[in-house]
Amino acid sequence: MTTSRQDVPFPTVSQSAPDAEGVLATWFASDGQRVSEGDLLAEVAVDKVDVEVPAPASGVVRLLVGEGDVVKQGTPIARLE
Amino acid sequence: MSLTDAADASHTSAPATTRKLSTSKAMVEAVAAEMDRDQDVFVMGEDVGAYGGIFSSTTGLVDRFGPQRVVDTPISESAFIGAAIGAAVEGMRPIAELMFVDFFGVCMDQIYNHMAKIHYESGGNVRVPMVLTTAVGGGYSDGAQHSQCLWGTFAHLPGMKVVVPSNPADAKGLMTSAIRDDNPVVYMFHKGIMGLPWMAKNPRSVGPVPEEDYEVPIGKAAIARPGTDVTIATLSLSVHHALDVADELAGDDIDCEVVDLRSLVPLDTDTILESVGRTGRLLVVDEDYRSFGVSGEIIARVAERDPGMLAAPPVRVAVPDVPIPYARGLEDAVLPTSERIRNAVFGVMGR
Amino acid sequence: MDTATRLDLYRTMVLIRTYEEAILREYHADKKPVFDIGAGAIPGEMHLSAGQEPVAAGVCAHLTSSDAVTATHRPHHFAIAHGVGMHRMTAEIFGRVDGLGKGRGGHMHLFDPDVHFSCSGIIAEGYPPALGQAMAFQRRGTDAVAVAVTGEGAANQGAFHESLNLAALWKLPVVFVIEDNEWGISVPRSASTCVTSNADRAAGYGIPGTRVEDNSVEGVHRAASQAVARARAGDGPSLLEVHTLRLWGHFEGDPQAYRHDLDDVPGRDPLPTYEQTLRDEGVLDEAAVKSVAADASERVEDAIAFARRSPLPDPKEALGLVFA
Repeated sequence: MTTSRQDVPFPTVSQSAPDAEGVLATWFASDGQRVSEGDLLAEVAVDKVDVEVPAPASGVVRLLVGEGDVVKQGTPIARLE
Repeated sequence: MSLTDAADASHTSAPATTRKLSTSKAMVEAVAAEMDRDQDVFVMGEDVGAYGGIFSSTTGLVDRFGPQRVVDTPISESAFIGAAIGAAVEGMRPIAELMFVDFFGVCMDQIYNHMAKIHYESGGNVRVPMVLTTAVGGGYSDGAQHSQCLWGTFAHLPGMKVVVPSNPADAKGLMTSAIRDDNPVVYMFHKGIMGLPWMAKNPRSVGPVPEEDYEVPIGKAAIARPGTDVTIATLSLSVHHALDVADELAGDDIDCEVVDLRSLVPLDTDTILESVGRTGRLLVVDEDYRSFGVSGEIIARVAERDPGMLAAPPVRVAVPDVPIPYARGLEDAVLPTSERIRNAVFGVMGR
Repeated sequence: MDTATRLDLYRTMVLIRTYEEAILREYHADKKPVFDIGAGAIPGEMHLSAGQEPVAAGVCAHLTSSDAVTATHRPHHFAIAHGVGMHRMTAEIFGRVDGLGKGRGGHMHLFDPDVHFSCSGIIAEGYPPALGQAMAFQRRGTDAVAVAVTGEGAANQGAFHESLNLAALWKLPVVFVIEDNEWGISVPRSASTCVTSNADRAAGYGIPGTRVEDNSVEGVHRAASQAVARARAGDGPSLLEVHTLRLWGHFEGDPQAYRHDLDDVPGRDPLPTYEQTLRDEGVLDEAAVKSVAADASERVEDAIAFARRSPLPDPKEALGLVFA
């Protein structure tokens, strides 16, 4: 069996400042939870804009950052296995 | 899944569903499902359209249903809440949002003299099947005119149902029930339970929510945590503080029963009385003003049934009769915090 | 104006006046020797619309039972002109079980869903619900309209201004009617209102405003025709102010000591004036006048008899019907 891992990046909320930092505001999935593609994983915020992060694929999700952590756009926040 | 499973999902340690939502997203899910199901359901209020509601109560709805069904209004509460009444009288099922409950002063006539009275005054011949949603609560320094709960005021005036969810699963189920109810229902959501990214949140603001349609019955409380030593009757954000304190005090050998009221009108007196009958001790935690409100009402109902039920005088933790202050330390001193709840439990336990 | 229409207007006004005179009689009959507001078969406040018949008759001539009317604490003329069931209306005024509200509403809270009629004791607050009824009609694709009635003093209330803006903004099929009977209870218009005509305020909301100056039922009929047609065509709301006359007190029992022009009032009564006009123009003769009066009297007395026959509500019923 092959494992296909996929990183889930912090979304690029601010197009004009690609290196901008935001906050991982809320985790809706728990570490080790099995999710389906499209399931709501997290909500992040850059400045005042809130964005939902859906699962890009199905799999078991590993959380790489904590709620409240400051994260640069593009950084992986979770991994799907 | 039974209604009680769904309703208790958030209160059990092994939820029946693993899908989690914040309270705000759970509310929106219920509204969207009902708008799909029934063309007569529409939403009106300030900033409910593109903005999605100041406290995310309508996020995404305008994209899905369009501006005819998710309508931004001018700052004219009397006019648009009155318009919701008129549309409801004609058989539509509007959801009107009063942005902050504190604003009720500019439109209360439409609410308590019209929305709440038309059914009775008409001898039951005219129904007003509308929902009035509104944001309540403090704890983030929004000052005296933007931090109130005021559910006692609405519960006091006859003719409107009042529901106050504490968690995402109940938020969805109560919204569905409220929309389907043929009576006016005031749906009061605490800003601190919405799970907003920009406000400090209690972890229980995000919780399991069943994916399918379900109703949480209006007028029925829930035992959020069974216990034997003291009944903590409470609602809204205070349920979370009470549960936090209960978890902590289990280590001090105090077993708290937390009753989540969920509705104020109708009030589930039976559940309260049954609980106090078992524990013999009552603590009411109410984020509304102390005097002439919910906390006094609950204690009165127990006393009316049988003061002998109480092994100790009942205690209430509420906001004292002062305007809510702005500075954080001052505000914390008046809100029903976990510390005040803990001290009150010790007090009612005689420790 | 064709004869048939003029006769209809006359008949409606006579019916209203006959009704108000009968209620006046019934209301005071058992409150003697000293006026006790809570006593008798019709207790409480009573606000009669004698003198204001032209407004109701002229506006409602253009309405059907599908159109909505929200009226004030002084509702009888609009209720009658719009076709509210007279028996059940009267029974409600008498607080009886067969009343429109089963005795729970009384004379200021008459609801007849069959003709989309409602009224409220809070002046100006009938405007916002009319907006909502208009919204429902619009969304359902009908050309029904909502007529919202208030007084000249209420044009200074917040809900009035909010409603005009919102109805104009959303182009709702509403006709805003203001009955300027010169008095907000005891306060004359000159002491309450910054403008001499509320019709002028319509310009502030970008909608047409018309003032009918002489309590003329035909003037009202003409102006209302335009306003109703505009609403039905989907062109939005209008404001129609009528300078009318409160023939009696604000409420029954009002001594009207503040009213300096009281001696002039009977001479301004619109009903004998219109009757005389119609006689002069050959539309009415003595026989017709007597016939109209007799018909009105019969209908009204029949309604009162129905009300008096209806039982009083059982006090045990007081707690019910709060919720559906």
